[in-house]
Amino acid sequence: MEGKRSNTQPLTLIRKIKGFTRSIVEDLARGRAPLIYIDRFRNYCADTSGNCSCSSGLSTGKEAISLKREFHARRLDVLLRVLLIVQQLLQENRHGSKRDIYYMHPTVFKEQSVVDRAINDICILLQCSRHNLNVVSVGNGLVMGWLRYVESGRKIDCISNPNTAHPIPVHVEEVDDIISVAQYVLVVEKESVFQRLANDQFCKRNRCIVITGRGYPDVPTRRFLRLLIDKLHLPVYCLVDCDPYGFDILTTYKFGSLQMAYDATFLRVSEIQWLGVFVQDCDNYSIPQQCLLPLTVEDKRKVEAMLPRCYLQSEVPKWRFELELLLHKGVKFEIEALSVHSLTFLSHEYLPSKIHNGGLWIKLDTIQAVIKGLKRKQRPSIIELEYSTENLKK
Amino acid sequence: MTDDLCRLTVKLTSFSRFGLPYVRISVSDTGVGGKLEDYQYLKYRNNPILANHWDGMISLATTSISDSEIHNLNLNLKVSNSAGRLTKLPSTAKNGAKFSGTEVSISISKSLDDLLAEITCFLQKKVVMELLVGGDDPLVSQIESRILAIEGSSVYSPVESIECLKVGLKDYVCKHQTCFSVGENLKVGTGVANSSGSSQGNSQVVEAVVIISEMSELVPSSCIGEQDMKTEVKQWAAESSLPDRNLARKAVKYALDDIKENNQGVLLSTRALKMCDYAPDLAKTLACLILSSNDLNFQEECCALLGVQSQEVNTDNFGNCIREKIISVIGLNDHNSQKRKEAQTFLFEDDCFQKEDFMDEEYQEGEETYNSLDV
Repeated sequence: MEGKRSNTQPLTLIRKIKGFTRSIVEDLARGRAPLIYIDRFRNYCADTSGNCSCSSGLSTGKEAISLKREFHARRLDVLLRVLLIVQQLLQENRHGSKRDIYYMHPTVFKEQSVVDRAINDICILLQCSRHNLNVVSVGNGLVMGWLRYVESGRKIDCISNPNTAHPIPVHVEEVDDIISVAQYVLVVEKESVFQRLANDQFCKRNRCIVITGRGYPDVPTRRFLRLLIDKLHLPVYCLVDCDPYGFDILTTYKFGSLQMAYDATFLRVSEIQWLGVFVQDCDNYSIPQQCLLPLTVEDKRKVEAMLPRCYLQSEVPKWRFELELLLHKGVKFEIEALSVHSLTFLSHEYLPSKIHNGGLWIKLDTIQAVIKGLKRKQRPSIIELEYSTENLKK
Repeated sequence: MTDDLCRLTVKLTSFSRFGLPYVRISVSDTGVGGKLEDYQYLKYRNNPILANHWDGMISLATTSISDSEIHNLNLNLKVSNSAGRLTKLPSTAKNGAKFSGTEVSISISKSLDDLLAEITCFLQKKVVMELLVGGDDPLVSQIESRILAIEGSSVYSPVESIECLKVGLKDYVCKHQTCFSVGENLKVGTGVANSSGSSQGNSQVVEAVVIISEMSELVPSSCIGEQDMKTEVKQWAAESSLPDRNLARKAVKYALDDIKENNQGVLLSTRALKMCDYAPDLAKTLACLILSSNDLNFQEECCALLGVQSQEVNTDNFGNCIREKIISVIGLNDHNSQKRKEAQTFLFEDDCFQKEDFMDEEYQEGEETYNSLDV
């Protein structure tokens, strides 16, 4: 179920902002330096023992902001400026984007990430999600397929033309009356692949919903996907490039991002299954050598930095194995490399083979895994299925 | 030398010898130091009353600014042969310290109470008279009142003594500032450091007065003389013994603390000054957070906390009030962090910065250590 925070109504948040401001004024009036504690969150660590509490969604410590360090003073300055804007947005019931906020004091903020951090700090202080502050990001995601919903009283009917892209709603909390006849949700990393599928009328041939976050997924995309899965209880598959960035994007969908770890419980789609493309796909689908690119030094560094993440070891060891394999092989390739056979190879051959077999096998696999899981308490994974089909082919 | 301040100290120490009460009278000055010949040919008229109380022995300690040691000698005035009067004693090293002065001591068989009244009376007459002769300076009246205040006080009081020193130093600075009225721009701090002393009871007291003269930015640079830009350290050895280096540091530290306590935002560390730069922005945003709230009760509550009349409030005056509070808190923090350091390590150590309790990843090392106050 989508996590719901309690007490995130605008009036409650305004009251919390006043309480925060009052505490600073009280400190100053009494000649005390204000000391602000901000909980720290992380959604992974490098502890491979399995004893960490990263997946719990609980804070892992506190950060103290005081008037004793210059960088603290600067952080407090930014935090208060953003808080003032948030207070205005909430009082006037208006919405603003992170970028709008940045441009209100660009010389002070200097870069967007400074504003982003302040927004995260405020969310932690007020114990709410970003959208509760009426701060929204410009919608980046796209959706198509067998889906109909109402957004702020307006009906969005994707079913009438399932291969037409619709922007993912920015105000996900205003989405209602979701109706779908889809059998699964397919998340693709890139817009180019999304458009390839639209062009190939993929949704006409397959009863599904296709979503793309166009790279690293933004908050509305992840919240919308979370909402669909919660409402429709459909299996959800993810198709990313076979490179470190594709893998990182996949983990962002499944485990959330480190920057917004405080909200990971409400943003992650832990049901997501990795459909491809895998290192072995270049052999299985006869992708010629010239379509493969060597991993760069930066790629290798990124893989090595990702490998120790605790959740890979504890929750998806086979994903981690794939990542090791990527490093070992030293090559990467994009989803589009499948077009070496034909433009429609992805939608006519690759995906159906994965999902049809997958779908079939997932059902069997799920049953087997449930039985196994009851014995071993392990989750089913699409990768298990891949290996099963491989074995069958051999 | 007329411009240099000279400090005259009279010290009475009581002790008993053969069951009789004795008082050692030491008169010391911070003048240029004496020549031995000046004492060698001192005339001594035999006074039978005095002869009953005094053995004719004078202990002398004198040093000039260029001397590397303090010369100690005894002078027996009852010896008629002037060459035989003088006995040289081992000198005391000055260990590189720069000061000058002379201390003359005699021991009288008399009770302290009897002597104190006489000497106080004598000093009042003498010193006040000298000052009146000395000039038409308005500060004379202040000094006079200080001296009158000593009357009736039977013990040496560093607090009163340092007040005199403070007045004198202020006067000195005022005389040396060239082109603008400085009276109101002077920040004065005093500090007294005591050593508990060894088992022999030779405790030391070091008094320090620090005066900071603030330059107005409006004063044209052509008007500021070399004297105005100078940092001067004036030192007097109040007693013939060398002032302990750490004690002197301590006294100066206390004097600086005194300035900090009485003058908000003065003598802050580099770090605190940097943070003060944020005070106007922080204050303005806080003022806006309060004043843009649509909750009037909340606004009134904050006004009450800050002691501002809510009817007269606008972003400017409210912001100014908050800014002052922030700067005061930064100053207080800075002051306290210095005190904590002191408790942990030795004073003025360059490496004595303090580790914060947590989250110290961006600590900039050494930013607020004192380097230049080595007196």
